[in-house]
Amino acid sequence: MDKRTTPIAKIFLIAVFLILYVPIFFLIYYSFNSGGTMSHFKGFTLDWYRQLFGDTRMFIIVLNTLVIALLSSLSATVIGVFGALAIYSYKRRAKNTLLSFNNVLIVSPDVIIGASFLILFTMAGIQLGFMSVLLSHIAFSIPIVVLLVLPKLNEMRPSLIDAARDLGASNWHVLSKVVLPFISPGILAGFFMALTYSLDDFAVTFFVTGNGFTTLSVEIYSLARRGISLHINALSAVLFLFTIVLVIVYYFISRRSSMKTMGVRK
Amino acid sequence: MENAVIIQFNHVTKQYQNDPAVLKDVSFEIERGKFYTLLGPSGCGKTTILRLIAGFTEATTGDIFIDGKKVNTIPANRRQVNTVFQDYALFPHLNVFENVAFGLRIKKMKQAQIEAKVKEALSFVNLKGYENREISGMSGGQRQRVAIARAIVNEPEVILLDEPLSALDLKLRTQMQYELRELQKRLGITFIFVTHDQEEALAMSDEIFVLNEGKIQQSGTPIDIYDEPINRFVADFIGESNIVPGIMIEDFLVEFVGKRFDCVDQGMNTNEPVEVVIRPEDLEITTREQGKLQVTVHSLLFRGVHYELSCTDEDGNEWLVHSTKKAAIGDEIGLYFDPESIHVMRLGESEEDFDRRLEAYTEEDHHAK
Ligand SMILES: Nc1ncnc2c1ncn2[C@@H]1O[C@H](COP(=O)(O)OP(=O)(O)OP(=O)(O)O)[C@@H](O)[C@H]1O
Ligand SMILES: [Mg+2]
Repeated sequence: MDKRTTPIAKIFLIAVFLILYVPIFFLIYYSFNSGGTMSHFKGFTLDWYRQLFGDTRMFIIVLNTLVIALLSSLSATVIGVFGALAIYSYKRRAKNTLLSFNNVLIVSPDVIIGASFLILFTMAGIQLGFMSVLLSHIAFSIPIVVLLVLPKLNEMRPSLIDAARDLGASNWHVLSKVVLPFISPGILAGFFMALTYSLDDFAVTFFVTGNGFTTLSVEIYSLARRGISLHINALSAVLFLFTIVLVIVYYFISRRSSMKTMGVRK
Repeated sequence: MENAVIIQFNHVTKQYQNDPAVLKDVSFEIERGKFYTLLGPSGCGKTTILRLIAGFTEATTGDIFIDGKKVNTIPANRRQVNTVFQDYALFPHLNVFENVAFGLRIKKMKQAQIEAKVKEALSFVNLKGYENREISGMSGGQRQRVAIARAIVNEPEVILLDEPLSALDLKLRTQMQYELRELQKRLGITFIFVTHDQEEALAMSDEIFVLNEGKIQQSGTPIDIYDEPINRFVADFIGESNIVPGIMIEDFLVEFVGKRFDCVDQGMNTNEPVEVVIRPEDLEITTREQGKLQVTVHSLLFRGVHYELSCTDEDGNEWLVHSTKKAAIGDEIGLYFDPESIHVMRLGESEEDFDRRLEAYTEEDHHAK
């Protein structure tokens, strides 16, 4: 931090952020266009938003997306934390192998994961719809949670567990009073990461969703295919705002929990 | 008599996987209300013994008894023993109060009672008013006291302390030595204290166990161990000493550096090869003629209370002398010592044999009187 950044580095940084953010702001800007196209700005209007919020079908889709995101990230967090605890309890060799299996799931393309889930669900006879989307979201979120929780576990000194047992703690107490509080920043990060992954997932959902059930990203895709409508812009703007709110919430929660243990973490 | 013993090790061996054994057939007894010290170099198995008592690991063979009950398979959370860890192991997500209250909360004690007990424990270790501090805001010495408070608040029968003072500076360390000893006397519970600092062990303990390479070399009061070390390792480890090879000519007569000296040791074979120990502070500087040994001074260190002279005799043996008298480098001086200052050690004598021999001739003394 204390190293002065050179002007070139600054310009580079600004350029990168511009390239990443300008399209988003461009999109949001035209969501207020009364002209109906993205080519020239005719006048300011909130019509697109009015239309969006008056659209019950869209409202249900948003609700679907949120329910799926919350349910899947919560379940994935619970399962992922226990998965991380299990991996942590293994000896080094087995630990590394398990971790590699975990990481393969993270880096493998969504299309492949989506396709394989589709095959699995059809073979298992699970109807495509809410359940299949939820299950697949849980499944692809678990490795993310594991990846974020495991480093916190490794950071924890084993003597803390000994100390807790020494003071009379049962297995349950060790877990609930020492281990979980210690790794809570990792759990929180895992939960939010799973939440955003689920919210913006397109590929996997596209494969496993059936008739009558869609999520936002799939809906936007099908809208966009039908032709450009500023409807999409308004929707994207709302989604973007929601993401920003999530980031801010995460920032405050994690700052509060890290302030408590500040200076202890190496 | 049976009730006095609180912890007993019965031929305990500990081995990790296929490594060589860390503890080799260790047996000892620990009595209620005393201050014990496990003393030995790094890696000799001190922490392992504490972990066996606390229940964090299991013995490979042998039995461990606490309060007359075999505890080999009883888990740590159901043993009446608390530990102060080498790295303190305080919970970073809890403040000082909650750290100390941890054990009491597990026992589901009432809030008012918890508050009273935690307050008392914190004032015991001079940390009144620190209840709401975060652990990260405490100094090393303060953390150590929190760790002690967290152990004593549970009123265990035994407290295990694993090198709790090793991270502190000399002054704080000396102060904490007094405080710990004082605390142990006030509480009247058994302390088992681990250190590799021999001065600390001598200053604080009722009983010392000297360990090396997974074996108890010698156990006894600080004075016993200092005055009558059983072998070269103990003599060397406990304080500084001059150790030279010798021959036990007969009872009360030993030969070393080519001369014969009167001594007070007995019960050995005639002409048995032995090792002879003389402590540096038992050597007095005199003239060449009056000295029993003639040596040349080759270095001199001022140690505050005394000078430390390093000398060599004609055979090339080195003699360390602690004296308030000064001598110049290159001086040829004589060293005088009493027959009582000579301590003769048999080679490879076991602790049982050693004790038996010592007992045999103290009894003779009684008969003579
Ligand atoms: N979990 C373990 N697995 C394998 N070997 C171990 C384990 N724990 C300890 N050891 C070995 O046991 C021996 C004794 O260790 P221990 O921790 O008891 O030493 P110590 O006397 O406490 O040393 P120090 O003064 O450095 O703390 C060491 O050689 C160590 O490498
Ligand atoms: Mg140790």
